[in-house]
Amino acid sequence: MRRFTLWGTISTGPAMQTNPAQLMLKRLVGFAGVMFVLSAMIFILARIVPGDPARIALGPSATQQQVDEMRLEMGLDAPLWQQYTDYVWRGIQGDFGKSLISGRQVSDEIAALLPATLELVIVTVLLIVAVSIPLGVMTARYRNSWIDNVGRFFSIVGVTMPSFLFAILLQLIAANFLSDWPVLGRVNYSLDLPDGPTGLLLVDSVVHGDWRVFWSALQHLIFPSMALAMAGIGQITRITRSAMIEHQRRDHVLTLKSFGVPDRVIVFRYLLKLSSIAPLTIMGLEFASLIGNAFVVELVFSWGGFASYGLESILQKDLNAVMAVVLVSGFFFVVANLVIDIVLMAIDPRLRFKEAK
Amino acid sequence: MTNLLDIQNLNVSFRTYGIRNNVLKDVGLKIPEGGRVALIGETGSGKSVTSKTILGTLPDNAVVESGTIRFDGEDVLTLSQGKREAMKGTAFSIIMQDPLSSFNPVFRIGRHLDDVLRFSDRRLGETSNSRDRRRRIEQVLRQVQLSDPARIFDAYPSQLSGGMRQRVLIALALLHQPRLLIADEPGTALDVTTQDEIMKLINSLVSDNGLSLLMITHNLGVVRKMADDIYVMRHGEIVEHGPLKTIFRTPQQAYTKALIAAIPPLYGPGVEDQKAVDAEPIVSLSNVSKSFDEKLLFGRGRSHLAVKDVSLQVSKGEIFGLAGESGSGKTTVARMIMGLIRPTAGSITVDGDTVGEKGRGPDFRELIQIVYQNPGTSLNPKRTVGQTLSVPLRFAGLRADAVEKRIHELLAHVELQPHYISKYPHELSGGQKQRVAIARALAANPKIIVLDEPTSALDVSVQKNVIDLLQKLRDDLGLTFLFISHDLSLMRNFCSHIAIMLRGEVVESGEPRQVFADPQHPYTRALIAAVPVMSDEEDRLKPQTSIEERRRYLADTAV
Repeated sequence: MRRFTLWGTISTGPAMQTNPAQLMLKRLVGFAGVMFVLSAMIFILARIVPGDPARIALGPSATQQQVDEMRLEMGLDAPLWQQYTDYVWRGIQGDFGKSLISGRQVSDEIAALLPATLELVIVTVLLIVAVSIPLGVMTARYRNSWIDNVGRFFSIVGVTMPSFLFAILLQLIAANFLSDWPVLGRVNYSLDLPDGPTGLLLVDSVVHGDWRVFWSALQHLIFPSMALAMAGIGQITRITRSAMIEHQRRDHVLTLKSFGVPDRVIVFRYLLKLSSIAPLTIMGLEFASLIGNAFVVELVFSWGGFASYGLESILQKDLNAVMAVVLVSGFFFVVANLVIDIVLMAIDPRLRFKEAK
Repeated sequence: MTNLLDIQNLNVSFRTYGIRNNVLKDVGLKIPEGGRVALIGETGSGKSVTSKTILGTLPDNAVVESGTIRFDGEDVLTLSQGKREAMKGTAFSIIMQDPLSSFNPVFRIGRHLDDVLRFSDRRLGETSNSRDRRRRIEQVLRQVQLSDPARIFDAYPSQLSGGMRQRVLIALALLHQPRLLIADEPGTALDVTTQDEIMKLINSLVSDNGLSLLMITHNLGVVRKMADDIYVMRHGEIVEHGPLKTIFRTPQQAYTKALIAAIPPLYGPGVEDQKAVDAEPIVSLSNVSKSFDEKLLFGRGRSHLAVKDVSLQVSKGEIFGLAGESGSGKTTVARMIMGLIRPTAGSITVDGDTVGEKGRGPDFRELIQIVYQNPGTSLNPKRTVGQTLSVPLRFAGLRADAVEKRIHELLAHVELQPHYISKYPHELSGGQKQRVAIARALAANPKIIVLDEPTSALDVSVQKNVIDLLQKLRDDLGLTFLFISHDLSLMRNFCSHIAIMLRGEVVESGEPRQVFADPQHPYTRALIAAVPVMSDEEDRLKPQTSIEERRRYLADTAV
């Protein structure tokens, strides 16, 4: 059997012993490779798009001499490879240059906005797992019953309806039925917000024991994360369902049934663990794409996060910011998959040991 | 003697989309207390449905129409659901067929055993703590001759060999000392020597503990050693039953006769000798080795030597048998001959050219073709027979009308009617599918065909027809076969030369007559001794082996 991952295929067949440390090392090198390719691609793209970054920074009224000076200051006169290595070296140190629009450090701007999106995405992912895995298990267990039909209906709705539509619908519902429920922003800004350590309001407020901030942040989070989670819920429910159904037919289920192990134990212990492998793999990809795609929901709820920052910088042709946004998203994509790989290794011993012939 | 199990007039049907399909028709079967009964029949005859009806694990769409199953005088079909559940694993239990797929791969072996024991304890109204259960489990594991129960308990299924997993499956059935043991083709997924050990183990457990045994199998050689009474099943009906000796000596029904006649004999007057071929070699390997290396990030990891210094020659027109157990390297040798992988050392010559020098060009592809083990998976289910056969023909550069003509020719070669051209694989029987696979291999007009266990997925009676066909094709078309198998009785009759492989090396090679009459290598002796045969006479003619020899060469010999 071979399992496809981003970093290549892991053979789980009758190959030789796989050493977890070796596997992790391979992943880390793959990690660096992905970041290298991504940075090279985005750098080249940024240099070949028409339009002079210096000219954009200074606006149309600047003289040619001012632009030339700016180019010199930005290092645009150096050869391309040198510009790239400079960029990478500074990027590793967290310096992505100045925003061409605001003139502030891109890294500072991102640092201010990233926690908002991370918090939204993490809660969304938790919501997806909490809803879709039980739903997938139930639809598989009561296959072709009304539970299954309702579950399948919701997953199709979730997958097909765009998230901004959910966002607006949820806002309307909140406005109509829960009149003092906040529907815009990240938290009630009139409260004293806790300072650090993570920037995630839910975590920080718990650390500081500030339950009013916690409640306010949670209230603000619920609807955006619901809107964002719908597509993932639909997808993961379907994947969990089909994995469960696929494994239900296997011999090992019949073994346990033949010895009278109760159905609920077979389903919730044996089948669930085996069937969570596929949805978890998808979850890793989902997490990363949410960071990039959250902007629609962020815009509707005036969230002021990293994803909408990325969109704005693209619209304004703020190249330094765009490059940084892409690299940071890429970084989280890689990290999320690394985490998923570790989780899968913990779940599936076949990834850790050699398969006996 | 009283009957422990008494099945009368059992009718079971399956309902799919409103269509009723009778799978068991008036089945009657008796197992006396302490008796050993075998239920034999081919794929789809209803053997497994019978065992599932006894156990109560039929799928939801199955309906027991009528009949009784009395266990110890009580009709289990009329019992309440709870009582019925309580009998599972305690009154009767099953030894599952396939040790490789019968454990959940992400749970430890011990977890399976513990859950089975815990829930059957609970149904019997007993309480047990986990330490106590672990002690009982380890005791049963020792009983099935697993010497290190603690390690087995903590192992994941993939860390154990097939033979060990089969033993754990037996342990699973013995946890609660049931009175009836149902064995559903145990060990058929394993190598012969392992299968032999498993049979001996089941036999001794049955006699030591005074259990009754219902043995479900299609292997008549196994039946001879494992049963006193035989029931022969066909299309859901018991066509013949009686004591083993009577059935084997004087079978009444044509079906039973055919079943017995289809087994190739290992020794005795019925054995066919293939003429030794004296022609120039078409395939020759000299000092071929192949090692697989673990790819590490930096440098090379451990390497595994799959084939060690193999030299052999296949003459033109020969049926060259390559025997050995799984992992012995026989398939690796075949793949190297086909040029699919390159040897690490040594050279291979096929029809005068060294393999690998010119790559796998069209000429080479036309020279050598392969028939795989399982036609159910080697044929694309979405393609008709005609479409499947047209692919290699189009590669050979034939035009549309020529392709059509050639397909009819190929079908005639494998004795299929021309109208099969538009059938899909699911409309064909196993034997017919394998014929199509053979026709596909013939399409390119090869000189050599590699047969990778071409009959192991088929029933014995079908196996005979396919083998006859292959023999005819070799004579008509002048083919050379490289026959890979672990079925020694088949190879004895079908091959003109045989080579035995052990751990990547050829340990013995020669004409079958010689090899079987006077095997030189102790491994060959152990291998032949393990083959289940049809008569005592054949058993006597088998080579003798000592326990030391077996222990040295057979991985799964526990004792």
